[in-house]
Amino acid sequence: MVKLMAERETTVTPFQIGEVVETGARAPALLKTRLPVLLLLAPALAVTLVFLVAPVLFLLFISFTAGRSFLQAVPTFTLTNYTSIFTDYLENLRVSLGLALLATLVNLVFGFPFAYILIRKVQYRDIVRAFMIFPMFGALYIAFGMRFLLLSNGMFGPLIKALNSIGIQIPIYGLHSVIFAMAIFTFPFMVMNIGAALSNIDPKLEEAAACLGAKRWQTFVRVLLPLAMPGILAGVLMCFGWNIGAFAEPVFLGGVAEQRAIAWTMYQRGIINFDFGLASAMGIVLMIIAFAVTYFSLRFSRGALAD
Amino acid sequence: MAVTQSSTFRFSRHFTDVLSHGYILLMCVVFVMPFLAIFQYSLWKGATLSLDGILGNYQFVFGSFLTNLQNSLMVTVTAITISFLISLPAAYAIVRYTFPGKRLVLSFLSISLYVPAVTLGLGLILLYNFGHLFIGSIWSVVFAMVVGTYPLMLTPLIVALKDLPPSFEEAAYCLGASRWQVLTRIVLPLIGQGIAAGVLLSFIIVFNEYLVTLFVVGTIPSLQTAPLRIFGLIRTAGLLNTTAALAAAMQIVSFVVVIAFFRIVGTRYLKGTYLI
Amino acid sequence: MSRVRLVNISKSFGNAVAVNDVNLDIAEGEFVTLLGPSGCGKTTTLRMIAGLVEPSAGEIYFDDQLVNPLPPNRRNIGFVFQTHSLFPHMTVADNIAFGLSVKGEDKKKIQARVEEMLALVDLQGYEKRMPAQLSGGQQQRVALARVLATNPRVLLFDEPLSALDRNLRDTLKYNIRDLQRKTRKTAIYVTHDQSEAFAISDRIFVMNQGHVEQVGTQLDIYLRPQTQFVAEFIGANNALSGQVVSTGETVGGRDVWIRVQDQRLRARDDVGLRNGDRVLAYVRPENIRVLEDGAGANFLNTVEGTIETIIFEGSTVHFDARVGESVLRVELAGTERLTVLNREGARVRLGFNEVTLIKI
Repeated sequence: MVKLMAERETTVTPFQIGEVVETGARAPALLKTRLPVLLLLAPALAVTLVFLVAPVLFLLFISFTAGRSFLQAVPTFTLTNYTSIFTDYLENLRVSLGLALLATLVNLVFGFPFAYILIRKVQYRDIVRAFMIFPMFGALYIAFGMRFLLLSNGMFGPLIKALNSIGIQIPIYGLHSVIFAMAIFTFPFMVMNIGAALSNIDPKLEEAAACLGAKRWQTFVRVLLPLAMPGILAGVLMCFGWNIGAFAEPVFLGGVAEQRAIAWTMYQRGIINFDFGLASAMGIVLMIIAFAVTYFSLRFSRGALAD
Repeated sequence: MAVTQSSTFRFSRHFTDVLSHGYILLMCVVFVMPFLAIFQYSLWKGATLSLDGILGNYQFVFGSFLTNLQNSLMVTVTAITISFLISLPAAYAIVRYTFPGKRLVLSFLSISLYVPAVTLGLGLILLYNFGHLFIGSIWSVVFAMVVGTYPLMLTPLIVALKDLPPSFEEAAYCLGASRWQVLTRIVLPLIGQGIAAGVLLSFIIVFNEYLVTLFVVGTIPSLQTAPLRIFGLIRTAGLLNTTAALAAAMQIVSFVVVIAFFRIVGTRYLKGTYLI
Repeated sequence: MSRVRLVNISKSFGNAVAVNDVNLDIAEGEFVTLLGPSGCGKTTTLRMIAGLVEPSAGEIYFDDQLVNPLPPNRRNIGFVFQTHSLFPHMTVADNIAFGLSVKGEDKKKIQARVEEMLALVDLQGYEKRMPAQLSGGQQQRVALARVLATNPRVLLFDEPLSALDRNLRDTLKYNIRDLQRKTRKTAIYVTHDQSEAFAISDRIFVMNQGHVEQVGTQLDIYLRPQTQFVAEFIGANNALSGQVVSTGETVGGRDVWIRVQDQRLRARDDVGLRNGDRVLAYVRPENIRVLEDGAGANFLNTVEGTIETIIFEGSTVHFDARVGESVLRVELAGTERLTVLNREGARVRLGFNEVTLIKI
């Protein structure tokens, strides 16, 4: 029998509680409510446990073993995987963090006005949303597309040739391309978060400020910005969280420096060099950073997004 | 405040308007530029536009890349179906029942969205190999996709179920329907929009996913999905027209599916999922 | 067509007791109402009868069958909800047919029944409409048709008219009553609206804080309330607190005299009071008359008071009279009501006979 949500009744005064018929059917009744819930949640829980929790725990285990030794009967336990991340591979970590930071900054600088205009000024939001879908298909296509864009016989051929003729070279590979591609990919996330926060701000507040004599920029700085801050922070953190795991952009558009991005290094060390211990440690570190960042971003976005 | 607007004021208002619209336009162009570049290159043979190129490239897509496309299709359809089958009961439990630790359960069921793809990919391939699970099978990819994207199905389902007053189900019960009949004749039809939203979100991600797939089946060519094939080709063969055609085709299909969804279903159930 | 009995039914949600040892006995074909304020447990009781909520203790019988182990879809009941119950994705006809179609009934039979039901609620021709196209009243009529289509043995109503406009409520409640009479089904109706309960019930169960305060016909609970709650919840009432000072036998029965502040009131004693008992004496506003000079001999009780606020409501006039430390609300109807207008501040003599006593 399905246990359905019943009408919530008011609590009773103490003297009536004594008159309650205490049901001996309490224990089975509890099971009766809990069992259907467990059965319903079981498939999702099982999938998560087997295909998410188990692999991560496995990685955690391997990260404390050296190289491929986890396959042996007695693995070699070590902490060097983690220590080397912060010594030999510190540069890689720095590169990833730096790239993510830069890309997120670009997102913020370009994304905030975009969100503001979109929410406040523009009527054709749906069409714009349609355009914003493209980046979401994946960083792979963006990185791929960028290579074409910077070809001298490509879409911007004439422009590039013109720039070359006055001495400006735009190499395909390099920091600028990687950042640009990363920024495009996470741009929609920034816009969504800021946009949600902005659209929750009652325009009347700005009108009230104006009536009280505030100039446009004063209203902006003292009313709008503080109220939108949770959404801004959520957007920043979300973009950062996504960007630290950047893979295709550094690989396809990066110079030597960018190719040290830790996600890519993880792949090389793990899948190509079979140093599973190290790769696992990198995976764990990356995950911890991503979790921490996302945790804070959700804390802020809970306030910003309407439910 | 001034009673009449000076002409400079009006000019500056118009100027900012133009600037605003222009900025939006510029960004929209930027969004779509990579796709257009790929698309343009897919119409070329070598370095020039040619009809031969268009036909040849896209023919190639359905020829040489056929297995990849089949893999992609199979993985997408199966993963979405399994995601739905595990998410629907979970969503129902969360919305219709009270139990302690509900918030914790919901958080736990959403964790996979925040695990970096490389971490998940590495963990899965190592676990698969160590546990002799799905070795050499496309199901290794399917379940990787399921675990990574089922929260995107769960959220719209929860929203849809929350919006469905319990009285509909109760009324059906009291009229004599069995639990299965209530599910199939009342609940599923009325949460159809939520299901569609979940399908859409899952589709966009799974259809174009390459990174987890890279770790899981990167070494098995016959199991590669289309995006993974694209990745491999770019790395090995560089900028080929045919690769571009495949990439363009994938994006076009994805775009058409999304637009069709928005036209038919609308955007209510995508709230909170960052696609809106 | 079933007799419904609730025996020692209780329901707790955690530590909160919603229904506390309720016993109901409803005869076949009877129309009873569970009447009470929000939170009194009437809806929870109704839902337990339906099987939507499992009792913490007690048994429910339909005729002689114990229905506790049966889920709602096996009890053969008809439940009419307050709102949001017509399936929005189905036509009116499909909605009405639902109960039969889930049992796999023959299509022709279903169609005939749907027509029959539509005629019963006077909505012929509405088969293909969608619920969203119907007015609130029409929706509830379709809901009625839908539950009647399966020929249930008990009809359960959960405040079906609360979501509707006032005037719609008035016509629809009689529709419900007429249908119930016509189909002769046992009906259990939940509402917080007294006039609704009074208009259509055979008997009323007044509920408060999870238990039944009093059972009876409209006359019973209005004229002879047995608890403080019923006296105050049903209709308007003046409550005077006092103490029994003497008792005596008269021709009609036992009378008692009560001291209320510095007055002595005389009342019929139906409960067996003794000297010294503390009581609440209730006088209904409509039972109080304004006495002209000299008159009053034919009233058991007369008091003097000052008229405070007077409100002309049209067919009635009511005013508050300050009598000593108490305030009595008086309601006048008919031509008499006009005599008090513009007499704010005046002293009047008031007379009344009927006093209900509740021991405290």
